[in-house]
Amino acid sequence: MIAVLSVELRKLNRSLAAVLVLAAPSLIGFFTFFVLLRNKHPSSWENLLQASTGIWAFFMLPMSVTALTALVAQMEHAPRAWDHLRALPVARWKLYAAKAICVVALVAVMTLLNQLIAWAAISGAAALKPAVAPTGALDVSQALLLNGKIVAAALLMIAIQLWAALRFSSFVPALALGIGGTFFSVVATSAKQGVFFPWQMPMNMLARDAWRVETALALGGGLGLLALIVAVLHLARREVL
Amino acid sequence: MIAAIKTEGLSRRFGARLAVDGVSMTVPERAVYGFLGRNGAGKTTTMKMVLGLLKPTAGRMRVLGLDVARQRMAAARKIGALLEAHGFYGNLTGRENLALTATLLGLGATEVERVLEVVEMRADAGRKVGGYSLGMRQRLGLARAMLGAPPVLLLDEPTNGLDPDGIADMRRFLKSLPERTGATVLLSSHLLGEIEQTATHVGVVNDGRLVLEGELARLKADLAPELIVRTGDDTRAVSLLLAQGRSPVAAETGLTVALRPGEDADQAAAAITRLLVESGASVFAIGPREQSLEDIYRRVAGSRSLQTEAA
Repeated sequence: MIAVLSVELRKLNRSLAAVLVLAAPSLIGFFTFFVLLRNKHPSSWENLLQASTGIWAFFMLPMSVTALTALVAQMEHAPRAWDHLRALPVARWKLYAAKAICVVALVAVMTLLNQLIAWAAISGAAALKPAVAPTGALDVSQALLLNGKIVAAALLMIAIQLWAALRFSSFVPALALGIGGTFFSVVATSAKQGVFFPWQMPMNMLARDAWRVETALALGGGLGLLALIVAVLHLARREVL
Repeated sequence: MIAAIKTEGLSRRFGARLAVDGVSMTVPERAVYGFLGRNGAGKTTTMKMVLGLLKPTAGRMRVLGLDVARQRMAAARKIGALLEAHGFYGNLTGRENLALTATLLGLGATEVERVLEVVEMRADAGRKVGGYSLGMRQRLGLARAMLGAPPVLLLDEPTNGLDPDGIADMRRFLKSLPERTGATVLLSSHLLGEIEQTATHVGVVNDGRLVLEGELARLKADLAPELIVRTGDDTRAVSLLLAQGRSPVAAETGLTVALRPGEDADQAAAAITRLLVESGASVFAIGPREQSLEDIYRRVAGSRSLQTEAA
């Protein structure tokens, strides 16, 4: 399994997926930087980091997962690499499991990068304009816990998007699913039922109601893990024509 | 003796279409087996079943005695394949692409360099595959198929995209493989010339059915021998030969005349020459006509011809 995982990571070298991992959190960083420069009064570290996390969980994470899974899948679909891979003496489930692990790891890295870039953007803006320098202490463990929950709650969305991207050789079904999911997640932000909607589950980690956090985390994480396993097994068993 | 590849009643249906219909094929060890047929005849589908990529609707296949359906992993260790779709990652270099497969096969960097050397690709192996020509991808694909020196090579249209020199090199290389490495090569192509110049054995697939299989030299020898006659007056020669109970056929190079069963070619040539000369028809040349794979193919696969030369 280590060999298959290492191969999966090496495929990302100089790929668009690798560019996306850096680009998506950087966009939020730029936005945070310029918004802070327009501010007149300082905010606390907690508020500033949560604002960045909110944008990530609400919009950029679902869109990034959509793009990332499509790009990672197209790396195999476009050159029709499945025939070569599936003809090798390697258990097919391992090929798909490695891809799933790799995507989840990349989403975690992007989420972490979002926080690091936000920290850098806030620090940079504060250096240029001391009046907006954040107040209070930076609670790193709290931020890591929140972002960890966001990644866990995103598992169901990742499983659905990855399955769609790997199942269909065209990128259209996966993109349509991701854009549609993100759209309904945005327009139905305040809906109570949103807690059951995979694309909105990460956002629910920022909710004040404990039941929303717990429900979305249990469904997104628990069902997500199950869905990833089912997706891997299904993809490994089906024929690629 | 165990066959390198053996299929028994192999069939595959896609919806209503029967793409492969009861193919029973035997590829002897250390043979270069030319798998010949038109585009869409069922060659690639058969090869994909042998590789375990497609499940047969009926029948079974064995690679060096291993049942592909039940022992896929063990069988896959014995096969290197070059498929029509190369499946290379354009963002990686040739060497990096091979290294990925080498890692999955548990092989080291020296093996990558070895196969790059074999296909003479070391100089270009540091470039990204996205910038490779089709011919370079084809050679890289062959290098990848040879990683770990598998005893069986499945090559789907290996000369596609190669220039004339590349085709000649590939033919020489494939012909020498069994002797050099002990490998068996199953080579699919729709090019008669390519198979004729490379293969020791041939299988012809037509509309999903294997219509002919055997050692190429024996198949050629089994065809009824013919003479080719060039005369100064073909019309007169034809009527004279018809009167003798022969069946001359006009061809580009002259008249072809099939020999009678058991008839000696030299004796027949002398008799025909005498007949034509004594009747006042000039004979410019007469001699045995060498039977080609195209002759064999035409007899078993109907009149629609394959390409005889690489495009």
